[in-house]
Amino acid sequence: MKAFEFASLVPECCAEVLEAMYFTTLLDSTLAEQPVGVSPDPLASIAFQLRFAGDVSGRFGICLDQATAFSLAANFLGESDNTISADEVAEVVGELANMLCGSVMSRVEGEHKFALSHPERSSSPRLPGADGTFVSRLDTDCGSIAIWIVVEEDACPR
Amino acid sequence: MAFNILIVDDSPAMRRVVRRVVDISGLDVGNFLEAGNGVEALVALRAEWVDLIMTDINMPDMDGEELLLAVRNDPVLAAIPVLVVSTDRSEGRARQMLLCGADGYVPKPFLPATLSREMYRLLGGAPDESI
Repeated sequence: MKAFEFASLVPECCAEVLEAMYFTTLLDSTLAEQPVGVSPDPLASIAFQLRFAGDVSGRFGICLDQATAFSLAANFLGESDNTISADEVAEVVGELANMLCGSVMSRVEGEHKFALSHPERSSSPRLPGADGTFVSRLDTDCGSIAIWIVVEEDACPR
Repeated sequence: MAFNILIVDDSPAMRRVVRRVVDISGLDVGNFLEAGNGVEALVALRAEWVDLIMTDINMPDMDGEELLLAVRNDPVLAAIPVLVVSTDRSEGRARQMLLCGADGYVPKPFLPATLSREMYRLLGGAPDESI
């Protein structure tokens, strides 16, 4: 599977995850191949990434601004924005990355098992220096989320 | 009868969400116990009686599958129902966990009603259909 096909699954998976667990609606999405070294969103201040491995392997990242992250965290935890700590917001964004990547991988892998690493917070939202990095910008009623995907291997023998 | 529930997930945020779903489900809960991985879960299980284990799979130190096998191989713990709640929605993983002895499998993302229905199926009773 090519990176573009993989990345094109993101909006549908994101809509499902956001609606079920973040009570948030996906309003619009765009997908583009990103030049190496460019930040997907210069305003992004919270970024997480993880590795995925299965028939398709690579890296998955998420970037969003503080306001969007607080709104999503409030919805996820069922609490108001002003009662949530920055650490709790980070936990929720990490879990969002985990669920989104898991949802995409489940569609890709179908019957097969796959593995995800623990989401790790990135110090910078800057994209990895790799060709074939695709970025989805997802506009929701809580704000915008940028998701990047790098597919490192197209096929892995079982 | 109040049930003791053990929630096992390395994400504190996800443990809170699962606990909130249990709270609003109307289930009569005695104690909530929480663990961040299988090792912590086994410590909790040996310290207090638990009526239902709800566990993630992908966790550090001891994952959900290892925990499930440890529980099923322990004569004292073997009868406790185990509900797997995982990001892995693949059919292969779900089948494997059920073969290892899981009593149910709820993929994330889940609707509160789905998780609630599975809890009641394993513990008996009827869920609050309004959630």
